[in-house]
Amino acid sequence: MALATATARGPRRRRGPRAGTAAFERSRRRLYLPFVVPALLLHLAFVIGPTLAALWISFHEWDGVSGMQWRGLDNYSALFDDPTFRTALVNTFIILVVAGAAIFIVSFGLTMLVREMRGRSFIRSVLFFPHIVSAIVLSIVWGFIFQHNGVVNTFLNKVFGAEPIGWLNADNLFRMILIGTVWISTGLYVTIIMAAVDRIPRYFYEDALLAGANSFQRLRYVTLPLSWDVISVAAIFWTISSLKIFEFIYAFGGTTNDLPPPSVWNSALFVYGESFGGRSPSYLFGYASASAILMLALFTVLIVALRRVLRRDSIEF
Amino acid sequence: MSSENSGGRVGVLPRRGASVTGKPRRNRPGAGGGRAAGLRAGGNPLRALGRLLVWAFVAFNILVFVFLILSSVKTSQEIFQAPWGIPRSLHFENWTNAWHESGFARATLNTVGLAVGGSVCTLAVSAPASYVLARVRVVSAGPLTVFFVLGLGIPAQVTVIPLFEMMSRVDLVNSLVGLFILYTATHVPFTVFLLTGFMRSLPTEIEEAAAIDGASPFRSFWQVMLPLARSGLVTVLILNVISMWNETLLGIVFLQSVDKYTLSLALLNFLSSMQFSGADYGGLFAGVCILVLPMLALYLWLWRRIIEGITLGAGK
Repeated sequence: MALATATARGPRRRRGPRAGTAAFERSRRRLYLPFVVPALLLHLAFVIGPTLAALWISFHEWDGVSGMQWRGLDNYSALFDDPTFRTALVNTFIILVVAGAAIFIVSFGLTMLVREMRGRSFIRSVLFFPHIVSAIVLSIVWGFIFQHNGVVNTFLNKVFGAEPIGWLNADNLFRMILIGTVWISTGLYVTIIMAAVDRIPRYFYEDALLAGANSFQRLRYVTLPLSWDVISVAAIFWTISSLKIFEFIYAFGGTTNDLPPPSVWNSALFVYGESFGGRSPSYLFGYASASAILMLALFTVLIVALRRVLRRDSIEF
Repeated sequence: MSSENSGGRVGVLPRRGASVTGKPRRNRPGAGGGRAAGLRAGGNPLRALGRLLVWAFVAFNILVFVFLILSSVKTSQEIFQAPWGIPRSLHFENWTNAWHESGFARATLNTVGLAVGGSVCTLAVSAPASYVLARVRVVSAGPLTVFFVLGLGIPAQVTVIPLFEMMSRVDLVNSLVGLFILYTATHVPFTVFLLTGFMRSLPTEIEEAAAIDGASPFRSFWQVMLPLARSGLVTVLILNVISMWNETLLGIVFLQSVDKYTLSLALLNFLSSMQFSGADYGGLFAGVCILVLPMLALYLWLWRRIIEGITLGAGK
C-alpha cells in the first residue's frame, strides 16, 4: 500500500557514493544469474515453451499417437464453421462482458455500502470466502440448491405456493452459470476495490463535503478518479481470469459422468472437450490447440486495447 | 489502515458520525444547502435497502456453508425433505464411508503433499529470482520481470496438450511427481509477480547497512531480505497452497488411477459414481466438507494475510 512512496525514494537516496555499497552492488550483480535462472528455466519449460508448442500443434492434425500432419490454417477456418466452437466463443465473451459488468457494478455498490457499515471486515471476509473454495464445490452447491426439487424451489413453494421453476433447464442453465460466476467472484473484487478506496485520504471527502458535493458527486469526482488505477488493474485481472474459468462449468456435468451440454461450454471446456474430456475423448489435439491459441490471441488484443482505454494520468496522493 | 467505525470522531467528522448513529444525518444539512440535503434524505431508504441486501448476501454465503455441514451428517432422504432442518440423528457414517470407501483418505494425503510440497518449492525457486529482479540494477531485470508476469495471462488450457505430450515422453503422466512438478512450475509467474512487487516496496536502508557492515550479498539476501519479506513470503505461500489445493484441470488430465486422485478428483469421481450406485447426497456432502473444511480453517486462521496478499497484487 505504501508502494508509491517507497519506490520514489529508492534510487535517489542510493546515488550517494558509499564505499561499501558500490562493492556490494557489484558482487550482488554476480548473484543475478544463479538466482534467476532456475525460475526462468521452469517458466520457459512449463509455461512459455508449451505455449509456443501449442501454436505449432495448432497447425497440424494430431491425435497424440500417430504422426502429425500439416494442415496450415485449416484448423482455424474449421473452427469458425463449428457451431460448438461459436457457442463456446460467444459464451466466453458473455462471461467476460455480462458477468464482468455485473461483478464490477455489484462490487462497487457493495464497497460503497459496506465501508460505512458496522462489521465491515466481517462482511468483507464472508463475501470473499467463496474465492478460496474449490469451484467444483461451489458448482455442486449451486446446482443442488437450484435443482428441480432443490432448496430454492421448495422454499418458493412453501412461501408463495409457486410451481417449481426449471432453473437448470437447457434454456436457463447458462444464465444460472453467469449468476453463479458473479456470486463467487464478487467478494474478491469487493476486497480489491475496498482496499483502493480505503487508501484515499479523508480530507478529500471533507473538502468535497465543504464544497457541497452530494454523495454521487463525491463518487464521481473523488472516489472514482482516485481509485482508478486499481480498478483498471482489476478489470484486466478479471479479463484474464474469465478466460480461465473451467471447474465451475465443468462440474455442471453432474452425475452424468460426462461433460455439461455444449450449449454452456466456454473456450476452456471446448479445449478439454475436444481433447481429453468426455466419455469417449476425441483427442483432436491440433483442433483443440487452435481454439486455445485463437482465444489467447483474441484476449491478448483485448487486454492491450483495454489498457489503452482505461489508461488515465495517474494521480499521486 | 482505516477506521470507518471509530465512533469517537463523531464531532470532527460529521459524515462518519452520521453513519454510526444513522439518524442525525437528516438534521444536518448545514454544509451542503437544500439540494444536497434533499438528495441525502432521498438516499437514506435506498441505503437502508442496500444494507439489507448486503446482509442478505452475507447470510446466503453463511447459510450455504451451514447447509453443507448439516447435510454431511444426514441421509439423502432427509436432505431433500428438510434441507434446513436439524439432523434427526447424526449420520457420521457418511464421513467414514467417504473417508475409507470412496478414497478420500488417500486423496487427502495426495492433496496435502502436492499443495504443501508444490508451494514450498515454488517459493524456494521464486524468492531468489524475485530478490535479484527487484534489487539488482541490471538492464534485463525489468523486461525479465515482465516476461515472468506474461505467464499470468496464459491459461492452463493452452499449455495442457503440449504438457501432456512432454510429460508422457518422460513417463510422468499419471504420476504424483509429475503433477507436483507441474504445480511448482505453473505457479512461478504469480509468485514472482507478487514477490518482486513486495520486495521492491521494502526499504533499502537495512540492506545498505548490512553491506557497509561487510555482509556478502548472499548473506544479505538470506539474513536481511528474507526475514524482512517474511509476511509477503507467507502470504504468497498460503495463496499458492489454496490454489493448488483446489486445482482441477491439470489433475483430471494428468491423473488416471484412483489411488493418485486429489480431493477435487475424488469428489468428481464420487459425483459420477452416484449414477450407478444411487444418489448418496449425504456422502457427497461429507466429501465436499473434507475438501472445504481445511481451507475454511486456513482462512479463519489467516484471513487477514490472504486478503492483504490479494490486494497487494492488485494495488501495484
